[in-house]
Amino acid sequence: MKTVNGLTLMGLSFLAVGCGPSEVASGPNGAYSASKSQYLVDSEPSDAIPVGKARESIEDGQDVTLVGLIGGSSDPFVEGLAAFTIVDPKVPCCAPDEGCPTPWDYCCTQDQVKDNIATVKIVDDSGRPVVHGARGLLGVKELSTVVVHGKAIRDDQGNLTVAANKVFVRPSN
Amino acid sequence: MLLPWEYGVRNLARRPVRTALTLAALATVVMLVFVVVGFIRGLEKSLAVSGDENVVLIYSVNSEENIENSSISARTPSLLSASLDSVVKRFGVVHVSPELYMGTRVKTEVGDGGLGLVRGVSLTTPLVRRSVKLIEGDWPASGEVMVGRLAAAKIGSSEAAMMVGKSIDFEGRVWKISGQFTAGGAAFESEVWCGLSDFQTSTKRQDLSLVALLLSPGSNAAEADLFCKERTDLELRAIRETDYYASLQQHYKPVRLLAWCVVLLVSAAGIFAGLNMMYGAVAGRVREIATLQAIGYRRRAILISLMQEGVTLSATGSLLSGVIALTLLNGVAVRFTMGAFTLRIDSVAILVGCGVGLLLGVVGTLPPALKALRAEVATSLKAI
Repeated sequence: MKTVNGLTLMGLSFLAVGCGPSEVASGPNGAYSASKSQYLVDSEPSDAIPVGKARESIEDGQDVTLVGLIGGSSDPFVEGLAAFTIVDPKVPCCAPDEGCPTPWDYCCTQDQVKDNIATVKIVDDSGRPVVHGARGLLGVKELSTVVVHGKAIRDDQGNLTVAANKVFVRPSN
Repeated sequence: MLLPWEYGVRNLARRPVRTALTLAALATVVMLVFVVVGFIRGLEKSLAVSGDENVVLIYSVNSEENIENSSISARTPSLLSASLDSVVKRFGVVHVSPELYMGTRVKTEVGDGGLGLVRGVSLTTPLVRRSVKLIEGDWPASGEVMVGRLAAAKIGSSEAAMMVGKSIDFEGRVWKISGQFTAGGAAFESEVWCGLSDFQTSTKRQDLSLVALLLSPGSNAAEADLFCKERTDLELRAIRETDYYASLQQHYKPVRLLAWCVVLLVSAAGIFAGLNMMYGAVAGRVREIATLQAIGYRRRAILISLMQEGVTLSATGSLLSGVIALTLLNGVAVRFTMGAFTLRIDSVAILVGCGVGLLLGVVGTLPPALKALRAEVATSLKAI
Protein backbone atom coordinates (compact mmCIF):
# COMPACT_ATOMS: atom_id res chain seq x y z
CA MET A 1 0.00 0.00 0.00
CA LYS A 2 2.87 2.28 0.91
CA THR A 3 4.43 1.63 -2.48
CA VAL A 4 1.16 2.49 -4.24
CA ASN A 5 0.81 5.73 -2.24
CA GLY A 6 4.43 6.61 -2.96
CA LEU A 7 3.99 6.06 -6.69
CA THR A 8 0.76 8.10 -6.71
CA LEU A 9 2.51 10.96 -4.88
CA MET A 10 5.41 10.83 -7.34
CA GLY A 11 3.00 10.82 -10.30
CA LEU A 12 1.11 13.82 -8.93
CA SER A 13 4.41 15.67 -8.37
CA PHE A 14 5.41 15.07 -12.00
CA LEU A 15 1.96 16.23 -13.10
CA ALA A 16 2.28 19.39 -11.02
CA VAL A 17 5.74 20.13 -12.41
CA GLY A 18 4.53 19.41 -15.96
CA CYS A 19 1.63 21.81 -15.62
CA GLY A 20 3.74 24.63 -14.17
CA PRO A 21 4.42 27.87 -16.03
CA SER A 22 7.04 27.56 -18.78
CA GLU A 23 10.17 29.69 -18.63
CA VAL A 24 10.03 30.10 -22.41
CA ALA A 25 7.49 32.54 -23.71
CA SER A 26 5.40 31.65 -26.70
CA GLY A 27 5.56 33.90 -29.70
CA PRO A 28 2.95 34.35 -32.37
CA ASN A 29 4.52 31.55 -34.35
CA GLY A 30 6.29 29.24 -31.94
CA ALA A 31 8.37 29.62 -28.84
CA TYR A 32 11.06 32.25 -28.57
CA SER A 33 13.38 33.38 -25.89
CA ALA A 34 11.70 35.57 -23.32
CA SER A 35 14.80 37.73 -23.11
CA LYS A 36 14.42 40.53 -25.59
CA SER A 37 16.51 40.32 -28.74
CA GLN A 38 19.30 42.90 -29.01
CA TYR A 39 18.18 43.61 -32.57
CA LEU A 40 14.68 44.70 -31.58
CA VAL A 41 14.14 48.40 -30.86
CA ASP A 42 11.33 49.95 -28.81
CA SER A 43 10.71 53.00 -30.94
CA GLU A 44 10.13 53.07 -34.66
CA PRO A 45 13.10 54.42 -36.64
CA SER A 46 12.18 57.62 -38.45
CA ASP A 47 12.17 58.28 -42.18
CA ALA A 48 11.37 54.72 -43.17
CA ILE A 49 10.75 54.31 -46.87
CA PRO A 50 8.68 51.61 -48.53
CA VAL A 51 10.44 48.78 -50.38
CA GLY A 52 9.33 49.82 -53.89
CA LYS A 53 10.75 53.34 -53.50
CA ALA A 54 13.97 51.99 -51.98
CA ARG A 55 14.53 49.69 -54.98
CA GLU A 56 14.39 52.77 -57.21
CA SER A 57 16.58 55.13 -55.22
CA ILE A 58 18.88 53.32 -52.80
CA GLU A 59 22.42 52.47 -53.85
CA ASP A 60 24.78 49.75 -52.73
CA GLY A 61 26.36 50.37 -49.33
CA GLN A 62 23.94 53.14 -48.36
CA ASP A 63 22.30 53.22 -44.91
CA VAL A 64 18.60 52.63 -45.29
CA THR A 65 15.43 52.32 -43.20
CA LEU A 66 12.79 50.18 -44.87
CA VAL A 67 9.21 49.40 -44.05
CA GLY A 68 7.42 46.33 -45.39
CA LEU A 69 5.30 43.31 -44.63
CA ILE A 70 6.92 39.92 -44.22
CA GLY A 71 5.90 37.86 -47.24
CA GLY A 72 6.42 37.49 -50.95
CA SER A 73 6.35 33.68 -51.13
CA SER A 74 4.67 30.82 -49.37
CA ASP A 75 7.68 30.57 -47.05
CA PRO A 76 9.24 34.02 -46.63
CA PHE A 77 11.51 33.00 -43.74
CA VAL A 78 14.91 31.33 -44.05
CA GLU A 79 14.89 28.39 -41.66
CA GLY A 80 17.86 28.56 -39.28
CA LEU A 81 18.92 32.11 -40.15
CA ALA A 82 17.48 35.46 -39.11
CA ALA A 83 16.46 36.37 -42.65
CA PHE A 84 13.20 36.93 -44.49
CA THR A 85 11.68 38.78 -47.41
CA ILE A 86 9.48 41.86 -47.08
CA VAL A 87 7.03 43.38 -49.53
CA ASP A 88 6.02 47.02 -49.99
CA PRO A 89 2.87 47.80 -47.94
CA LYS A 90 1.21 49.27 -51.05
CA VAL A 91 1.02 45.79 -52.66
CA PRO A 92 -2.29 44.22 -51.67
CA CYS A 93 -2.42 40.66 -50.44
CA CYS A 94 -5.47 38.41 -50.33
CA ALA A 95 -8.16 39.66 -47.98
CA PRO A 96 -9.02 37.39 -45.04
CA ASP A 97 -12.57 36.84 -46.38
CA GLU A 98 -11.16 35.36 -49.62
CA GLY A 99 -10.21 32.23 -47.71
CA CYS A 100 -6.62 32.10 -49.02
CA PRO A 101 -4.62 29.86 -46.65
CA THR A 102 -1.33 31.70 -47.39
CA PRO A 103 -2.15 35.37 -48.11
CA TRP A 104 1.52 36.29 -47.51
CA ASP A 105 2.53 34.70 -50.82
CA TYR A 106 0.70 37.50 -52.67
CA CYS A 107 -0.55 34.89 -55.15
CA CYS A 108 -3.01 37.34 -56.76
CA THR A 109 -0.50 40.17 -57.17
CA GLN A 110 2.73 38.34 -58.01
CA ASP A 111 3.39 40.68 -60.95
CA GLN A 112 3.63 43.60 -58.51
CA VAL A 113 5.80 41.74 -56.01
CA LYS A 114 8.92 41.40 -58.16
CA ASP A 115 9.53 45.19 -58.13
CA ASN A 116 8.49 45.63 -54.51
CA ILE A 117 10.37 42.95 -52.64
CA ALA A 118 13.55 43.08 -50.56
CA THR A 119 15.46 40.57 -48.47
CA VAL A 120 16.28 41.39 -44.87
CA LYS A 121 19.03 39.56 -43.05
CA ILE A 122 19.80 40.38 -39.46
CA VAL A 123 23.56 40.57 -39.08
CA ASP A 124 25.83 40.59 -36.04
CA ASP A 125 28.66 43.05 -35.37
CA SER A 126 30.94 41.22 -37.79
CA GLY A 127 28.33 41.47 -40.56
CA ARG A 128 27.41 37.77 -40.62
CA PRO A 129 23.77 36.63 -40.58
CA VAL A 130 22.55 35.66 -37.12
CA VAL A 131 22.17 31.87 -36.89
CA HIS A 132 18.71 31.83 -35.37
CA GLY A 133 15.29 31.75 -37.02
CA ALA A 134 13.73 35.21 -37.28
CA ARG A 135 10.42 34.00 -35.91
CA GLY A 136 12.04 33.06 -32.63
CA LEU A 137 14.54 35.91 -32.53
CA LEU A 138 12.14 38.75 -33.27
CA GLY A 139 8.73 37.25 -32.47
CA VAL A 140 7.44 37.99 -35.95
CA LYS A 141 5.26 36.02 -38.32
CA GLU A 142 4.05 36.24 -41.90
CA LEU A 143 2.46 39.62 -42.74
CA SER A 144 4.00 41.30 -39.66
CA THR A 145 4.86 44.89 -40.54
CA VAL A 146 8.51 45.58 -39.78
CA VAL A 147 10.72 48.64 -40.01
CA VAL A 148 14.36 47.65 -40.49
CA HIS A 149 17.50 49.75 -40.43
CA GLY A 150 20.80 48.67 -41.94
CA LYS A 151 23.08 48.74 -44.92
CA ALA A 152 21.73 48.21 -48.43
CA ILE A 153 23.27 45.59 -50.69
CA ARG A 154 22.43 45.98 -54.38
CA ASP A 155 23.42 43.83 -57.33
CA ASP A 156 23.38 44.35 -61.09
CA GLN A 157 20.02 42.58 -61.39
CA GLY A 158 18.34 45.17 -59.15
CA ASN A 159 17.88 42.93 -56.13
CA LEU A 160 17.86 44.69 -52.78
CA THR A 161 19.07 43.12 -49.55
CA VAL A 162 19.30 44.93 -46.23
CA ALA A 163 21.92 43.77 -43.74
CA ALA A 164 19.92 45.02 -40.77
CA ASN A 165 20.94 45.54 -37.18
CA LYS A 166 17.77 47.22 -35.93
CA VAL A 167 14.25 45.92 -36.31
CA PHE A 168 11.03 47.49 -35.11
CA VAL A 169 7.88 45.38 -35.29
CA ARG A 170 4.73 47.44 -35.66
CA PRO A 171 2.00 46.19 -33.39
CA SER A 172 -0.76 44.53 -35.41
CA ASN A 173 -4.18 46.21 -35.40
CA MET B 1 -12.10 -29.30 -16.64
CA LEU B 2 -11.13 -28.30 -20.17
CA LEU B 3 -11.83 -30.39 -23.25
CA PRO B 4 -8.75 -32.16 -24.62
CA TRP B 5 -6.74 -30.14 -27.18
CA GLU B 6 -7.13 -32.97 -29.72
CA TYR B 7 -10.93 -32.70 -29.55
CA GLY B 8 -10.98 -29.28 -31.24
CA VAL B 9 -8.35 -30.26 -33.81
CA ARG B 10 -10.15 -33.51 -34.69
CA ASN B 11 -13.42 -31.62 -35.03
CA LEU B 12 -11.83 -29.60 -37.84
CA ALA B 13 -10.93 -32.79 -39.66
CA ARG B 14 -14.45 -34.20 -39.21
CA ARG B 15 -15.83 -31.71 -41.75
CA PRO B 16 -13.00 -31.37 -44.27
CA VAL B 17 -14.90 -29.47 -46.98
CA ARG B 18 -16.34 -26.89 -44.58
CA THR B 19 -12.94 -26.55 -42.90
CA ALA B 20 -11.17 -26.14 -46.25
CA LEU B 21 -13.66 -23.51 -47.40
CA THR B 22 -13.40 -21.60 -44.11
CA LEU B 23 -9.60 -21.78 -44.31
CA ALA B 24 -9.64 -20.46 -47.89
CA ALA B 25 -11.92 -17.58 -46.91
CA LEU B 26 -9.79 -16.64 -43.89
CA ALA B 27 -6.57 -16.90 -45.94
CA THR B 28 -8.07 -14.65 -48.64
CA VAL B 29 -9.04 -11.98 -46.12
CA VAL B 30 -5.57 -12.06 -44.55
CA MET B 31 -3.99 -11.96 -48.03
CA LEU B 32 -5.99 -8.83 -48.88
CA VAL B 33 -4.73 -7.24 -45.67
CA PHE B 34 -1.16 -8.19 -46.63
CA VAL B 35 -1.56 -6.61 -50.07
CA VAL B 36 -2.90 -3.31 -48.72
CA VAL B 37 -0.45 -3.05 -45.82
CA GLY B 38 2.39 -4.07 -48.18
CA PHE B 39 1.32 -1.23 -50.49
CA ILE B 40 1.34 1.31 -47.65
CA ARG B 41 4.68 0.12 -46.31
CA GLY B 42 6.22 0.09 -49.79
CA LEU B 43 5.09 3.66 -50.49
CA GLU B 44 6.30 4.86 -47.10
CA LYS B 45 9.64 3.11 -47.47
CA SER B 46 10.17 4.46 -50.99
CA LEU B 47 9.61 8.05 -49.84
CA ALA B 48 11.56 7.56 -46.61
CA VAL B 49 14.73 6.31 -48.31
CA SER B 50 14.49 8.87 -51.12
CA GLY B 51 16.50 11.88 -50.19
CA ASP B 52 19.94 12.58 -48.83
CA GLU B 53 20.32 14.73 -45.71
CA ASN B 54 23.27 16.58 -47.30
CA VAL B 55 21.61 17.27 -50.64
CA VAL B 56 19.74 20.51 -51.32
CA LEU B 57 17.46 20.89 -54.32
CA ILE B 58 17.21 24.26 -56.05
CA TYR B 59 14.24 24.69 -58.34
CA SER B 60 11.70 27.23 -59.49
CA VAL B 61 9.65 28.97 -56.83
CA ASN B 62 6.68 28.95 -59.20
CA SER B 63 6.51 25.17 -59.53
CA GLU B 64 5.27 24.67 -55.94
CA GLU B 65 6.14 21.09 -54.93
CA ASN B 66 6.22 19.71 -58.47
CA ILE B 67 9.76 19.63 -59.83
CA GLU B 68 8.52 18.38 -63.21
CA ASN B 69 6.97 21.81 -63.77
CA SER B 70 10.10 23.67 -62.73
CA SER B 71 12.11 25.70 -65.21
CA ILE B 72 15.24 27.55 -64.15
CA SER B 73 18.02 29.28 -65.98
CA ALA B 74 20.90 27.15 -67.32
CA ARG B 75 23.40 29.48 -65.64
CA THR B 76 22.04 28.66 -62.17
CA PRO B 77 24.61 25.88 -61.42
CA SER B 78 27.57 28.20 -62.05
CA LEU B 79 25.97 30.98 -59.97
CA LEU B 80 25.41 28.56 -57.09
CA SER B 81 28.93 27.13 -57.31
CA ALA B 82 30.39 30.61 -57.17
CA SER B 83 28.17 31.89 -54.38
CA LEU B 84 27.93 29.04 -51.86
CA ASP B 85 30.86 28.01 -49.68
CA SER B 86 29.21 24.95 -48.19
CA VAL B 87 29.02 22.93 -51.43
CA VAL B 88 31.46 20.00 -51.49
CA LYS B 89 34.42 20.52 -53.78
CA ARG B 90 36.88 17.66 -54.31
CA PHE B 91 39.87 17.56 -56.67
CA GLY B 92 38.59 20.74 -58.28
CA VAL B 93 35.15 19.26 -59.02
CA VAL B 94 32.20 21.05 -57.43
CA HIS B 95 29.48 18.59 -56.44
CA VAL B 96 26.64 20.31 -58.26
CA SER B 97 24.25 18.36 -60.47
CA PRO B 98 22.24 20.26 -63.10
CA GLU B 99 19.25 18.18 -64.14
CA LEU B 100 16.35 18.30 -66.57
CA TYR B 101 13.49 16.17 -65.32
CA MET B 102 10.17 15.48 -66.97
CA GLY B 103 7.44 12.97 -67.56
CA THR B 104 7.14 11.85 -71.15
CA ARG B 105 5.70 8.98 -73.19
CA VAL B 106 8.23 6.16 -73.50
CA LYS B 107 7.82 3.29 -75.98
CA THR B 108 9.77 0.04 -76.07
CA GLU B 109 10.91 -1.99 -79.11
CA VAL B 110 7.91 -4.31 -78.75
CA GLY B 111 5.54 -1.39 -78.93
CA ASP B 112 4.25 -1.26 -75.37
CA GLY B 113 4.93 1.68 -73.12
CA GLY B 114 3.44 4.51 -71.16
CA LEU B 115 4.31 7.63 -69.22
CA GLY B 116 7.89 7.45 -68.01
CA LEU B 117 10.07 9.73 -65.93
CA VAL B 118 13.23 10.86 -67.69
CA ARG B 119 16.11 12.72 -66.08
CA GLY B 120 18.83 14.42 -68.06
CA VAL B 121 22.02 14.14 -65.99
CA SER B 122 25.69 14.97 -66.19
CA LEU B 123 28.89 13.29 -64.99
CA THR B 124 28.68 15.14 -61.67
CA THR B 125 25.25 13.61 -60.91
CA PRO B 126 26.60 10.39 -59.31
CA LEU B 127 28.70 12.57 -56.99
CA VAL B 128 25.51 14.13 -55.64
CA ARG B 129 23.03 11.24 -56.06
CA ARG B 130 25.13 8.91 -53.97
CA SER B 131 22.56 6.12 -53.61
CA VAL B 132 22.60 5.38 -57.34
CA LYS B 133 24.59 2.27 -58.29
CA LEU B 134 25.13 0.98 -61.80
CA ILE B 135 24.43 -2.76 -61.55
CA GLU B 136 24.73 -3.70 -65.21
CA GLY B 137 26.19 -2.16 -68.36
CA ASP B 138 27.74 1.30 -68.65
CA TRP B 139 27.07 4.97 -68.03
CA PRO B 140 25.09 6.33 -71.01
CA ALA B 141 27.03 7.84 -73.88
CA SER B 142 25.40 10.09 -76.47
CA GLY B 143 22.12 8.58 -77.71
CA GLU B 144 22.04 6.13 -74.82
CA VAL B 145 20.09 5.84 -71.58
CA MET B 146 20.38 3.87 -68.37
CA VAL B 147 17.23 2.62 -66.73
CA GLY B 148 16.28 2.21 -63.10
CA ARG B 149 15.35 -1.17 -61.64
CA LEU B 150 11.64 -0.23 -61.60
CA ALA B 151 11.52 1.81 -64.83
CA ALA B 152 9.77 -1.04 -66.67
CA ALA B 153 7.02 -1.12 -64.02
CA LYS B 154 6.56 2.65 -64.23
CA ILE B 155 6.30 2.58 -68.02
CA GLY B 156 4.03 -0.45 -67.92
CA SER B 157 6.35 -2.65 -69.92
CA SER B 158 8.13 -5.95 -69.29
CA GLU B 159 11.60 -6.20 -67.81
CA ALA B 160 12.73 -8.11 -70.91
CA ALA B 161 11.90 -5.10 -73.09
CA MET B 162 14.00 -2.83 -70.88
CA MET B 163 17.14 -4.94 -70.72
CA VAL B 164 20.60 -3.63 -71.52
CA GLY B 165 21.11 -3.61 -75.30
CA LYS B 166 17.44 -2.98 -76.11
CA SER B 167 16.13 0.36 -77.34
CA ILE B 168 13.39 2.70 -76.21
CA ASP B 169 11.77 5.64 -77.93
CA PHE B 170 10.90 8.99 -76.40
CA GLU B 171 10.86 12.64 -77.46
CA GLY B 172 11.01 11.56 -81.12
CA ARG B 173 14.29 9.72 -80.80
CA VAL B 174 15.44 6.13 -80.33
CA TRP B 175 17.74 5.59 -77.34
CA LYS B 176 19.84 2.49 -76.70
CA ILE B 177 19.79 1.12 -73.14
CA SER B 178 23.40 1.08 -71.98
CA GLY B 179 22.97 0.18 -68.33
CA GLN B 180 20.69 -0.52 -65.40
CA PHE B 181 20.91 1.06 -61.95
CA THR B 182 19.48 0.75 -58.46
CA ALA B 183 19.11 3.44 -55.82
CA GLY B 184 18.47 1.55 -52.58
CA GLY B 185 14.70 1.66 -53.06
CA ALA B 186 14.62 5.43 -53.71
CA ALA B 187 12.32 7.10 -56.24
CA PHE B 188 15.12 7.26 -58.86
CA GLU B 189 14.69 3.54 -59.48
CA SER B 190 11.61 4.18 -61.62
CA GLU B 191 13.42 6.71 -63.84
CA VAL B 192 15.28 6.68 -67.13
CA TRP B 193 18.54 8.66 -67.15
CA CYS B 194 20.26 10.11 -70.18
CA GLY B 195 22.86 12.79 -70.90
CA LEU B 196 21.66 16.30 -70.06
CA SER B 197 22.74 17.94 -73.31
CA ASP B 198 21.25 15.06 -75.34
CA PHE B 199 17.96 15.45 -73.54
CA GLN B 200 17.98 19.24 -73.93
CA THR B 201 18.53 18.82 -77.67
CA SER B 202 15.71 16.29 -77.99
CA THR B 203 13.25 18.37 -76.00
CA LYS B 204 14.42 21.64 -77.61
CA ARG B 205 14.92 23.13 -74.18
CA GLN B 206 17.86 25.10 -72.88
CA ASP B 207 16.69 25.45 -69.32
CA LEU B 208 16.99 23.11 -66.34
CA SER B 209 14.42 21.67 -63.96
CA LEU B 210 16.60 21.68 -60.89
CA VAL B 211 20.08 21.80 -59.49
CA ALA B 212 21.06 19.34 -56.77
CA LEU B 213 23.89 20.39 -54.46
CA LEU B 214 25.87 18.18 -52.11
CA LEU B 215 26.67 20.14 -48.94
CA SER B 216 29.59 19.43 -46.66
CA PRO B 217 28.55 17.31 -43.66
CA GLY B 218 27.21 19.49 -40.86
CA SER B 219 26.75 22.57 -43.04
CA ASN B 220 23.53 24.51 -43.07
CA ALA B 221 21.06 24.41 -45.96
CA ALA B 222 19.98 27.91 -44.90
CA GLU B 223 22.88 29.39 -46.87
CA ALA B 224 21.38 28.07 -50.11
CA ASP B 225 17.94 29.25 -49.06
CA LEU B 226 19.29 32.74 -48.29
CA PHE B 227 20.92 32.86 -51.74
CA CYS B 228 17.55 32.08 -53.33
CA LYS B 229 15.80 34.74 -51.24
CA GLU B 230 18.41 37.36 -52.10
CA ARG B 231 18.40 36.59 -55.82
CA THR B 232 14.69 37.28 -56.25
CA ASP B 233 15.26 37.83 -59.99
CA LEU B 234 16.09 34.12 -60.43
CA GLU B 235 12.83 33.04 -58.73
CA LEU B 236 14.43 30.05 -57.02
CA ARG B 237 13.68 28.10 -53.91
CA ALA B 238 15.89 25.75 -51.93
CA ILE B 239 14.81 22.70 -49.99
CA ARG B 240 16.70 19.89 -48.36
CA GLU B 241 16.04 16.71 -50.35
CA THR B 242 14.83 14.87 -47.24
CA ASP B 243 12.34 17.70 -46.57
CA TYR B 244 11.14 17.50 -50.18
CA TYR B 245 10.31 13.81 -49.83
CA ALA B 246 8.82 14.43 -46.37
CA SER B 247 6.46 16.92 -48.04
CA LEU B 248 5.56 14.21 -50.58
CA GLN B 249 4.81 11.91 -47.64
CA GLN B 250 2.37 14.57 -46.46
CA HIS B 251 1.00 14.89 -50.00
CA TYR B 252 0.27 11.15 -50.10
CA LYS B 253 -1.14 11.09 -46.56
CA PRO B 254 -4.76 10.86 -47.82
CA VAL B 255 -3.77 7.86 -49.99
CA ARG B 256 -2.20 6.16 -46.99
CA LEU B 257 -5.21 6.97 -44.80
CA LEU B 258 -7.50 5.58 -47.47
CA ALA B 259 -5.40 2.42 -47.64
CA TRP B 260 -5.63 1.98 -43.86
CA CYS B 261 -9.42 2.45 -44.19
CA VAL B 262 -9.36 -0.37 -46.77
CA VAL B 263 -7.51 -2.55 -44.23
CA LEU B 264 -10.24 -1.80 -41.68
CA LEU B 265 -13.04 -2.46 -44.16
CA VAL B 266 -11.46 -5.71 -45.39
CA SER B 267 -10.96 -6.83 -41.79
CA ALA B 268 -14.55 -5.95 -40.90
CA ALA B 269 -15.84 -7.79 -43.97
CA GLY B 270 -13.65 -10.74 -43.01
CA ILE B 271 -15.04 -10.75 -39.46
CA PHE B 272 -18.62 -10.71 -40.76
CA ALA B 273 -17.84 -13.53 -43.20
CA GLY B 274 -16.18 -15.45 -40.36
CA LEU B 275 -19.20 -14.84 -38.12
CA ASN B 276 -21.50 -16.11 -40.82
CA MET B 277 -19.46 -19.27 -41.30
CA MET B 278 -19.05 -19.92 -37.60
CA TYR B 279 -22.79 -19.40 -37.00
CA GLY B 280 -23.39 -22.08 -39.62
CA ALA B 281 -20.74 -24.35 -38.14
CA VAL B 282 -21.98 -24.03 -34.55
CA ALA B 283 -25.66 -24.24 -35.51
CA GLY B 284 -25.03 -27.70 -36.92
CA ARG B 285 -23.40 -28.78 -33.67
CA VAL B 286 -26.07 -27.77 -31.16
CA ARG B 287 -26.69 -31.37 -30.06
CA GLU B 288 -22.98 -32.04 -29.72
CA ILE B 289 -22.51 -28.96 -27.55
CA ALA B 290 -25.53 -29.91 -25.39
CA THR B 291 -24.18 -33.45 -25.02
CA LEU B 292 -20.83 -32.11 -23.84
CA GLN B 293 -22.69 -30.02 -21.24
CA ALA B 294 -24.78 -33.04 -20.22
CA ILE B 295 -21.73 -35.20 -19.55
CA GLY B 296 -20.32 -32.54 -17.28
CA TYR B 297 -18.18 -30.10 -19.26
CA ARG B 298 -18.68 -26.53 -18.17
CA ARG B 299 -19.79 -23.89 -20.64
CA ARG B 300 -16.46 -22.06 -20.31
CA ALA B 301 -14.56 -25.23 -21.30
CA ILE B 302 -16.77 -25.74 -24.37
CA LEU B 303 -16.41 -22.05 -25.32
CA ILE B 304 -12.61 -22.31 -25.09
CA SER B 305 -12.66 -25.46 -27.25
CA LEU B 306 -14.78 -23.72 -29.92
CA MET B 307 -12.48 -20.71 -29.87
CA GLN B 308 -9.51 -23.06 -30.13
CA GLU B 309 -11.01 -24.46 -33.34
CA GLY B 310 -11.54 -20.96 -34.76
CA VAL B 311 -8.10 -19.71 -33.79
CA THR B 312 -6.38 -22.87 -35.09
CA LEU B 313 -8.09 -22.37 -38.43
CA SER B 314 -7.39 -18.62 -38.62
CA ALA B 315 -3.76 -19.07 -37.52
CA THR B 316 -3.30 -21.69 -40.27
CA GLY B 317 -4.89 -19.28 -42.78
CA SER B 318 -2.62 -16.45 -41.60
CA LEU B 319 0.50 -18.63 -41.88
CA LEU B 320 -0.53 -19.80 -45.33
CA SER B 321 -1.14 -16.22 -46.49
CA GLY B 322 2.07 -15.08 -44.82
CA VAL B 323 4.13 -17.64 -46.74
CA ILE B 324 2.44 -16.75 -50.04
CA ALA B 325 2.83 -13.01 -49.37
CA LEU B 326 6.51 -13.35 -48.50
CA THR B 327 7.36 -15.54 -51.46
CA LEU B 328 5.11 -14.11 -54.19
CA LEU B 329 4.05 -10.57 -53.17
CA ASN B 330 7.12 -9.17 -51.44
CA GLY B 331 9.08 -7.02 -53.89
CA VAL B 332 6.42 -6.92 -56.62
CA ALA B 333 6.67 -3.59 -58.46
CA VAL B 334 3.67 -1.27 -58.30
CA ARG B 335 3.12 1.63 -60.70
CA PHE B 336 2.22 4.91 -59.03
CA THR B 337 1.92 8.58 -59.97
CA MET B 338 5.32 9.51 -58.53
CA GLY B 339 7.03 6.56 -60.19
CA ALA B 340 7.02 2.98 -59.01
CA PHE B 341 7.78 1.17 -55.79
CA THR B 342 7.75 -2.39 -54.54
CA LEU B 343 5.24 -4.02 -52.21
CA ARG B 344 6.91 -4.45 -48.87
CA ILE B 345 5.85 -7.34 -46.66
CA ASP B 346 7.89 -6.35 -43.62
CA SER B 347 7.49 -6.99 -39.90
CA VAL B 348 4.68 -4.42 -39.62
CA ALA B 349 2.75 -6.01 -42.50
CA ILE B 350 3.21 -9.49 -40.99
CA LEU B 351 2.08 -8.21 -37.58
CA VAL B 352 -1.03 -6.48 -38.95
CA GLY B 353 -1.94 -9.38 -41.29
CA CYS B 354 -1.52 -12.12 -38.68
CA GLY B 355 -3.16 -9.91 -36.02
CA VAL B 356 -6.23 -9.49 -38.22
CA GLY B 357 -6.18 -13.25 -38.91
CA LEU B 358 -6.16 -14.18 -35.23
CA LEU B 359 -8.80 -11.54 -34.49
CA LEU B 360 -11.03 -13.16 -37.10
CA GLY B 361 -10.62 -16.48 -35.27
CA VAL B 362 -11.54 -15.06 -31.87
CA VAL B 363 -14.21 -12.50 -32.78
CA GLY B 364 -15.77 -14.74 -35.43
CA THR B 365 -16.24 -17.62 -32.99
CA LEU B 366 -17.42 -15.83 -29.85
CA PRO B 367 -20.99 -14.69 -30.73
CA PRO B 368 -22.23 -17.99 -32.30
CA ALA B 369 -20.59 -20.05 -29.55
CA LEU B 370 -22.16 -17.91 -26.82
CA LYS B 371 -25.54 -18.18 -28.53
CA ALA B 372 -25.30 -21.99 -28.67
CA LEU B 373 -24.21 -22.20 -25.05
CA ARG B 374 -27.09 -20.02 -23.81
CA ALA B 375 -29.68 -22.52 -25.10
CA GLU B 376 -31.29 -25.00 -22.67
CA VAL B 377 -29.45 -28.35 -22.59
CA ALA B 378 -32.68 -30.38 -22.72
CA THR B 379 -34.01 -28.41 -25.70
CA SER B 380 -30.69 -28.58 -27.53
CA LEU B 381 -30.45 -32.34 -27.08
CA LYS B 382 -33.72 -32.70 -28.99
CA ALA B 383 -32.58 -30.35 -31.76
CA ILE B 384 -32.31 -31.79 -35.26
